[in-house]
Amino acid sequence: MHRRQSSPWTKALGAALGLAALLQGCSSGQGHGPEEKVVNIYNWPNGIDPDTIKLFERETGIKVRYGIFDSSEVLQAKMLAGNSGYDVVVPSGPFLQRMLQSGLFQPLKREAIPNLRNLDPVLMRKVAVYDPGGRYSVPYVWTTIGVGYNIEKVKARMPDAPLDSLDMVFKPEVAARFQDCGITWIDAPAEILPLALGYLGLDPNSDRPADLDRAQHLVRAVRPYIRYINSAKYMDDLANGETCVALGWSGDILLAKAKAEQSAREAGIKPTPITYSIPREGTSASFDMMAIPVDAPHPGNAHKFLDFILRAQTQARIANVMTFANANAASWPLIRPEIRDNPQIFPPPERRNALWVVKAASPALDRMRTDIWASMIAGRAP
Amino acid sequence: MSAGPRPVSPGSLIALPPVFWLGIFFVVPFLFVLMISLATPQIGRPPYVLGFSLDSYAAIFGDAKYLDALLNSLRLASLTTLLTLILGFPMAYVMARAAPGPRAVMLLLVFIPFWTASLLRIYAWMALLQEGGIVNRVLIMLGVIDRPLTLLYTTGSILVGMVYAYLPFMVLPLFAVLSRLDWRLLDAASDLGARPPVTFLRITLPLAAPGILAGSLLVFVPALGEFVVPELLGGQSGLMIGKLIWYEFFNSNDWPRAAALSVSFVVVILSLPLLGQLRGRRPEAGA
Amino acid sequence: MSRRYAWPALVLACVGFAFLYVPLFTLVAYSFNESQRVTMWTRFSTRWYAALAGSQELIDATLMSVKIATLSATMAVIVGTAAAIALARYKRFRGRGLLMLAVTVPLATPEVLIGFSLLLLFVGLGIERGVLTVVIAHTTLGIAYVTVVVQARLASFDRSLEEAAADLGGRPLAVFKLVTLPLLMPGLVAGWLLTFVLSLDDLVLANFVNGPGTSTLPMVVFGRVRTGLSPEVNALAAIFIAFVTVTLAVVLLLERSNTAHAAAQD
Repeated sequence: MHRRQSSPWTKALGAALGLAALLQGCSSGQGHGPEEKVVNIYNWPNGIDPDTIKLFERETGIKVRYGIFDSSEVLQAKMLAGNSGYDVVVPSGPFLQRMLQSGLFQPLKREAIPNLRNLDPVLMRKVAVYDPGGRYSVPYVWTTIGVGYNIEKVKARMPDAPLDSLDMVFKPEVAARFQDCGITWIDAPAEILPLALGYLGLDPNSDRPADLDRAQHLVRAVRPYIRYINSAKYMDDLANGETCVALGWSGDILLAKAKAEQSAREAGIKPTPITYSIPREGTSASFDMMAIPVDAPHPGNAHKFLDFILRAQTQARIANVMTFANANAASWPLIRPEIRDNPQIFPPPERRNALWVVKAASPALDRMRTDIWASMIAGRAP
Repeated sequence: MSAGPRPVSPGSLIALPPVFWLGIFFVVPFLFVLMISLATPQIGRPPYVLGFSLDSYAAIFGDAKYLDALLNSLRLASLTTLLTLILGFPMAYVMARAAPGPRAVMLLLVFIPFWTASLLRIYAWMALLQEGGIVNRVLIMLGVIDRPLTLLYTTGSILVGMVYAYLPFMVLPLFAVLSRLDWRLLDAASDLGARPPVTFLRITLPLAAPGILAGSLLVFVPALGEFVVPELLGGQSGLMIGKLIWYEFFNSNDWPRAAALSVSFVVVILSLPLLGQLRGRRPEAGA
Repeated sequence: MSRRYAWPALVLACVGFAFLYVPLFTLVAYSFNESQRVTMWTRFSTRWYAALAGSQELIDATLMSVKIATLSATMAVIVGTAAAIALARYKRFRGRGLLMLAVTVPLATPEVLIGFSLLLLFVGLGIERGVLTVVIAHTTLGIAYVTVVVQARLASFDRSLEEAAADLGGRPLAVFKLVTLPLLMPGLVAGWLLTFVLSLDDLVLANFVNGPGTSTLPMVVFGRVRTGLSPEVNALAAIFIAFVTVTLAVVLLLERSNTAHAAAQD
């Protein structure tokens, strides 16, 4: 590194290389006999209810170590860096597809997961676009993207507001009416831009520059009326009455609604009236998939975990507690009617066909989406 | 040191631990990133192909949004530094001049907020500045306003959060330097008839200079890359460079571009003091 | 003797302290609020403290963060002080320029980059990610801060004391231990505290280089934001504040009685 000989840098380099060799020796080596009774899960916060974990631990004696990531993008980056140390990860569909292309997951041993038969064939066909044949993953939960409202504030400003339409968040003339009470978007270009394309009547997965250009004009035209674009704070603000229109995931919005009702009950006051609606122009079904990294330290335990999750009772409990829809047909009879028959959580079969799935983007499309998104936030043309 | 010429200078020896540590845990990783910035992206693991390509750098310098983000961040960081200096200097000054008793209490008061996670204190500000939050409620109660102000998710709220987060980083270095000051110099000056503003400008300020410099460095530079505070407290504040780097790493999966952006950012920051020197300013003292 | 300090300084200082404490009062006040929502005060209750005691996740994360922060701060002070002394005192030794760069560049480098590049390093070397890697990351960043602070202190140093000690026959190491170090102490303490806080608050670096089972406090807190922060974290903050206040008060009282004692003996 440095020209002269007795420089501290040369000495340091020598010591560093020595240390590196030493550390290489005591690193985490795979294949040290039978698997420790541990399984490392990497999931969204609030992605699973604690009881399920406790039941799994009690039944199998395997300790669950739960790590959280707050976006699929972070998960992807860590996996691409290699050797994440996790046994089960839960990426959303398009990210799973991309990561599969990069060879990051191992094929599932189907004999170790007999409960695979519980999955609904119709929904499995939808996720086949991510993982043909379902060789590497199982669907865990799914949500839709739509709009959450504070009904009172919205009706106060526009009694005939188009509540089931994306006009509320995409059309400047309409959005302007709610600017003062607060419109928010999630920070997810990979979801919102396809939504915009669908709204314009184009193919949501299009990678044609002409189409994306139109999407860009749309988002830039409406941006001035959006209070902020952030995936973390919008639920709380909607529940508090700080904002009145939120474009986000159904799971989040319905959870916010439940919490608002709970805290209002405790305080003895009226809860913030929140509703969620699936847009009539169409939206995506967003699947969270469970998969096992190719370098997982405890693949046997991982398979046991997946099988446990896929039990009818387990997925029913998760649906009941966390109000997520799932693809586990065997669990549906066990789900509370308020949830199972709620069209906002479990869209009826006719509407299900209208839901599209976002596919993994090519690098060129990723680049276009990121540029559009960043420029929109920066407030200037790319 | 008084000993005769030695084969290894003591400076060399003392420097060995930091050199070793930073060499392996900073310089080497940085060189990795430099290598990646010259690579080309691909789908796979790793998501790049090593080589020598300046495409990523060309893309960055050819796209105005990167410069925009940088200017935006520069603006925010400068304002933050200025405000923390204005707010923090009196605090450090009063602490340094206090008698041991009150000084101890004040030290206590400065350190306590340190020990609560800054994230929590930022959330406290969110709660305070919300439309239904305390600040608005108090103002309405006092009759100053009748409808709640939008205080949150504005540039103002970002500044509040930034100053709040970075204040200790200005106060502590300032205090460390000011506490070494010989206050008799000030007393002598006033005995000789100098009025307080003069004493402050001609004596206190120059002697405090190393502390001001240190504090400003510890605030300005990290504030440039900051994006957690603008994320939580900001709304329509435009794009910060820290967030842009984040997007490049995570959303576009273009590691070479993200690496190139980071390297460019570091180079730009490091050349700022050089630019300052070129314009004839005083070079940094003791830095 | 003239007045100790002019009133503008005092007023501004009070404003500064008030600014620091308003959110803290809010945090503590709402930790005793029965309602979950921060915007509504219903009535006094200690339910969140009870909930906190039962929240294993929060407790584990807190202990983890404190452990990591203590280790990082200590390492950073040792290494950073060495760097500061080398840079401030020895004007020419080989590799000085590079060292100067190496201690300032981390300040300028976005944490995303530091975290990411360290992750690549750890993966490349096969080092298992966990407490060790997070400590390494935080220490590396902390060194930059410590060096800046200690250097600033060294710059305003009066060397005559050291020279006097050396003239009296003190050997370099003894001079350092008995004269330099005590005089440097405020700078060292400042550096330690800065690194401690940095580590305790860090979200980005930990996100990159931690492993399964090492969730730090900021990560857990941030994860809970999406569903609305429950006042358990307020209770946690209040406990921190109480704990630190008591500890620091005790330490300061002890130190003052020590100095008073020593003075009385003269």
